[in-house]
Amino acid sequence: MEKSILGYKCTKCAQVHYPNRTLCRKCGHNEFTTLPLPKSGKLLTFTHLYTLPADFEVTSIGLGIVELDGGTRITGQLEIEKPEIGMKVRGDVKMVRNDGYNNYYGMVFYRA
Amino acid sequence: MREVYVAGIGITSFTRLEYPLVEIAAYPAMMALQDSGLKKVDHVFVANMASGRINHQTGLASAVVDNLSLTPAGAETIENGPASGASAIKAGFMAVASGLHDVVLVTGAERLREVNNLDATDAVATLTHPLAEYIYGVTLPSLAGMFTRLYMKKYGVTSRHLAMVAVKNHDNAMLNPFAHIHQKITLEGIIDSPEAMTNNPMVADPIRFFDCCPVSDGAACLILTTKEVAQKSGHPLVRLAGVGQATDTHAVHDREDPTELLAVRGAAAQAFKMAGVKPSDVDVAELHDAFTILEIVESEEVGFFKKGEGHLALERGETRLGGRIPINTSGGLKAKGHPVGATGVGQAHEIVQQLRGEAGKRQVKDAKTGFTCNFGGFGNNVVCLTFVREG
Ligand SMILES: [Zn+2]
Repeated sequence: MEKSILGYKCTKCAQVHYPNRTLCRKCGHNEFTTLPLPKSGKLLTFTHLYTLPADFEVTSIGLGIVELDGGTRITGQLEIEKPEIGMKVRGDVKMVRNDGYNNYYGMVFYRA
Repeated sequence: MREVYVAGIGITSFTRLEYPLVEIAAYPAMMALQDSGLKKVDHVFVANMASGRINHQTGLASAVVDNLSLTPAGAETIENGPASGASAIKAGFMAVASGLHDVVLVTGAERLREVNNLDATDAVATLTHPLAEYIYGVTLPSLAGMFTRLYMKKYGVTSRHLAMVAVKNHDNAMLNPFAHIHQKITLEGIIDSPEAMTNNPMVADPIRFFDCCPVSDGAACLILTTKEVAQKSGHPLVRLAGVGQATDTHAVHDREDPTELLAVRGAAAQAFKMAGVKPSDVDVAELHDAFTILEIVESEEVGFFKKGEGHLALERGETRLGGRIPINTSGGLKAKGHPVGATGVGQAHEIVQQLRGEAGKRQVKDAKTGFTCNFGGFGNNVVCLTFVREG
C-alpha cells in the first residue's frame, strides 16, 4: 500500500493539524481523526543545507516548507534541481534518515 | 512586587574552555560575589541546555552550589534551550520580587566544545520538532536559511545586508576582551570580491559561514537582590525593570506568517510595559543574532524600527556604536560567541556593564536604558529583559 503522512482532523472544528496536538489549536477540543495528507502542493520556502548531522551519508540536502493542497503545511526534504518559491511540487513518503538504529520515513518532494 | 536590582556581575571568556563544566559555571559566580561584596546567597539558578547530553552531567545546579560552598542555599537548573539564560534571570527576578528570597545568584554556563561541531549542532537541533522537523535533518541553520529566503523576497533584504551585520558585530567584538572571535572582517572579504565565495562558503543557502555564530563554551553571572542590598555594592544602581516572555509554535511551518517572530514581539512588549519605557527610550540593546538575519528582524519586532525596515536602519549606521541605537556592542552571538545556556546571562552582563559605565572602548555614552532579547528554539520561546540605571 502506498505510504502517507497522517494529518489530525479536529472532530469539533475540522481543523487539520500536522504534526499532532493533544488539544486543537483553533478550538481547544481534544479528539481527532486521522487522514492521509495530500501529496501535492506549493513550495513556500526552501534551503540547501551543507552541514548535516553526522549520521547523514550525503554531504548536503534540500529542505523546504510546503503548503499541501487543502492548506496543511509540512516540512520535508527536496529533490529538486533549482527550486523556486511558489512552484508546484509532488511528494512521496520515503526513508529520510537512518541514525544507525532506526529508519525514519517522511515526505520527499519533487518538481510536479 | 518588590523592585529587583543587580548587585554583582561576572563573566568568562566565550571560547573553547578546557575546564569541567561546573568550574566554568562557578568562575563568573565567584567574580560576581566579589563584585557585589556578598558572601552568602539565598538561592542559585544555573542556566544550561545540554549538560546531560554533551557533558554527561545532570543535576548541574546541585554541583555548582556545592562547588561554590554556598550550601545549604536552594539551587535549580533552568533549561529553556538557547533562552535558558534569560529564563534563569526571570526566575531570579520572580524570587526576589515575590519576597521569597533576598539574594539570588544566576549563573549560565555551557560547554559544547567538549564534542565536535557536528555533534554540537545536532545537540542544538534536538530543539526542533522530533517528528516533523528533526528526522529530515532540519537544524537551526536550515530553519534560518528558509526564514532568510522568505525575508529577502518579502522585504528586499540582501546577502550584503547580512554581511553588514557580521562586519559590525566583529568590529564590536574587537573591543570586547571576553569575545570569542577577534577577527576583523570586511564586506570586500566576505561578500564583495570573487574570493569572498571561498572565504564565506554556503551553510544553508542563502546563509553563509559568516552569517552564523560560533559554537562557544562560556559562562556569565548576575546577582539579583533588593535595593537595600544592591546599594551596599557601591556600583551605580541598575534595576531589572521589566521581564517578558512569549512562545510560538514548535514547528516553524505551523506559523501563519513564517516571516513574523510573534514571540519576540510579545516578549518585548511585556518587558517594555513592565518597565514603563518605550523602544525609543532604549540606549543600548543586545539582540540574539545566532544568525545575522535575526538581528535585523528582532530589531523590527521589538519595536526599534518598522517591520521590513531594520536592514535600512542598519545601512544608515543607526545600530553601530555611535549610532542612534547601538545593537550588540558586545559583538553579539555572532562574534562575542554563543555558549547556549549562558548566552542570555551574557547579554544581561553586557547591558549592566553599559549602564554602569564600565564598557570601556565600547561604552555607549550615558546609557540609561538597556534591553536584551534571548531567543529560544527558532523563535518558539523568547525572553526579553529591560534594565534601567537609577540616579
Ligand atoms: Zn478544533
